[in-house]
Amino acid sequence: MDSISIRGLCGVYTAMLYAYPRDFRRQYGAEMQQVFRDRCREQSGASWLAFSGSTAMDWIASVIRERRAASLAVSAQMGAGRKLIQEWAVTLLLFLFVTTTMVQAYVVPTGSMENNILIGDHMLVDKVGFSNTGNNWTSYVLPTRQVKRGDIIAFRFPEDVRQTFVKRVIGLPGDRIHLQNKRVIRNGQPLDEPYAQHVTSYIDDDRDNFPTAAAPAAFAHQVQDGDVIVPPDMLFVLGDNRDDSLDSRYWGFVPRDYIVGKPLVIYWSYDGSTKDFETWNIAHLEDVALHFFTKTRWSRTLTTP
Amino acid sequence: MPKPAPAANLLPLTPPVFHILLALADEERHGYGIMQDVARQTNDALKLGPGTLYGCLKRMLAAGLVEESDERPDTELGREQCDERRRYYRMTDVGRSVVRAEAHRLAEAVTAARARLGLAGGK
Repeated sequence: MDSISIRGLCGVYTAMLYAYPRDFRRQYGAEMQQVFRDRCREQSGASWLAFSGSTAMDWIASVIRERRAASLAVSAQMGAGRKLIQEWAVTLLLFLFVTTTMVQAYVVPTGSMENNILIGDHMLVDKVGFSNTGNNWTSYVLPTRQVKRGDIIAFRFPEDVRQTFVKRVIGLPGDRIHLQNKRVIRNGQPLDEPYAQHVTSYIDDDRDNFPTAAAPAAFAHQVQDGDVIVPPDMLFVLGDNRDDSLDSRYWGFVPRDYIVGKPLVIYWSYDGSTKDFETWNIAHLEDVALHFFTKTRWSRTLTTP
Repeated sequence: MPKPAPAANLLPLTPPVFHILLALADEERHGYGIMQDVARQTNDALKLGPGTLYGCLKRMLAAGLVEESDERPDTELGREQCDERRRYYRMTDVGRSVVRAEAHRLAEAVTAARARLGLAGGK
C-alpha cells in the first residue's frame, strides 16, 4: 500500500476517533493515530481484509466501552442536585409535553358559570378533546369528538386572545337563536336549561332579550326574523350565570378555532374573590397558607364541571 | 489520581491487560511497541487495536499498574517514524506484583486442568 492511500486511511481513522468521548480522544487520540498508521505500514496484500475487520471491531467495542465509562464517571462526579435533575429529567420532560400539548391548568376568576363553576376553581383543561376541527385521520387515532350543544368549553376571548373564557355552547353553526325574557329559544324551541341560574328577577332588555338594537355589530348581518343565525365555523356561547355573564350576547360568536379545550377536572377549589385569582398577590398566598384546609372546597375536588 | 486498588481486587486480569503488563515487564514501550510485543507473546493470536490498547492503558494508569514515562523519538523504528516523538509507558511496582499474582493464578489453573484432564506437561 502506498503512502498516499495510508494517509487517506489515517484521515478516515481520525474521523472515527470522534466517536470516542472527548476526554479520551484528547488524551489518546494522537497516539492511537500513530499506532494505526504503524499498523497500516505493516500490512500487505491479503492481510488488509483481516486488518480492516479487526480495526472495525476494535473501534466499535472500545467506543461502547469508553462511552459507558465516561457516562458512569460523569454520574459519579455529579453533585446531589444534578443527580436529582437527571433522575427527574424524564418526568419533567413528560410533564412539559403533557402540559403544553394535552392539558393546561387554569383558575377561574369570575362567577359567570355559577353554580357549575365557581370562583377559585382550579381546573385542568383537556386540549385534545375538541382539537379536531374537521374530518381527517387524527379523528380515528385521538380521543376527539365534535363540539355539541350544551358542552362547556374553554376558549380564547375573541376580543382579547390572551384571556381564556369558559362558557357553555348554546348554538352550533346554522342554529337560529334568540332570547325572550331570559328564555333561550333555539330553532323555534324554548330550551329547558337546568344548568342555568338567574340571580335577578327583573328583565333587563339588553341582557334578557336578544337580539335587540343594542346587540354587537358582529350580529348585524346574522339577524333574520328576530333570530341570530350562527355562521359556519362559529359558536354561540352563554354563561350559566345568565344574569351576570359576559358572553356571546355582548361580544359575538366564538370562532371554532379559538377553542382551547374542555374542562377535564377540578383539582383544587379554593374560596376566594375575583382579584385573588386574576392577579398574583401576596395577601392571597398568605390567606391560602392560613386557611388552606378550611377554605378549600373539598367536595369539588376531582369533580368534572 | 485515585488510590491504587489492592492487587487481589484486580484479578483476574483480562487477556489484553495481562499481556500489556508482560510487554512492559522488562522495558518501557510506546503504544505500537506494546502492540507488537503482545502479538509476539501470543503468536499473533492477540492483536490489539488502538481503541482496546488505549482503553486498557487508561484504566491501568488509573489503577496505578503502569505510568507514563517521557515522550521521545523511537530509534528502532525506521527513519520516517524516527522523527516523531512518542509517549512511553512503564510498569509500576504495583503492576509488577499484580502481573505476578495473575501469572501465579493462571499457573495454578493450568496445574488443576492438567491434573483433571490427564494432560502431559508439554503440548
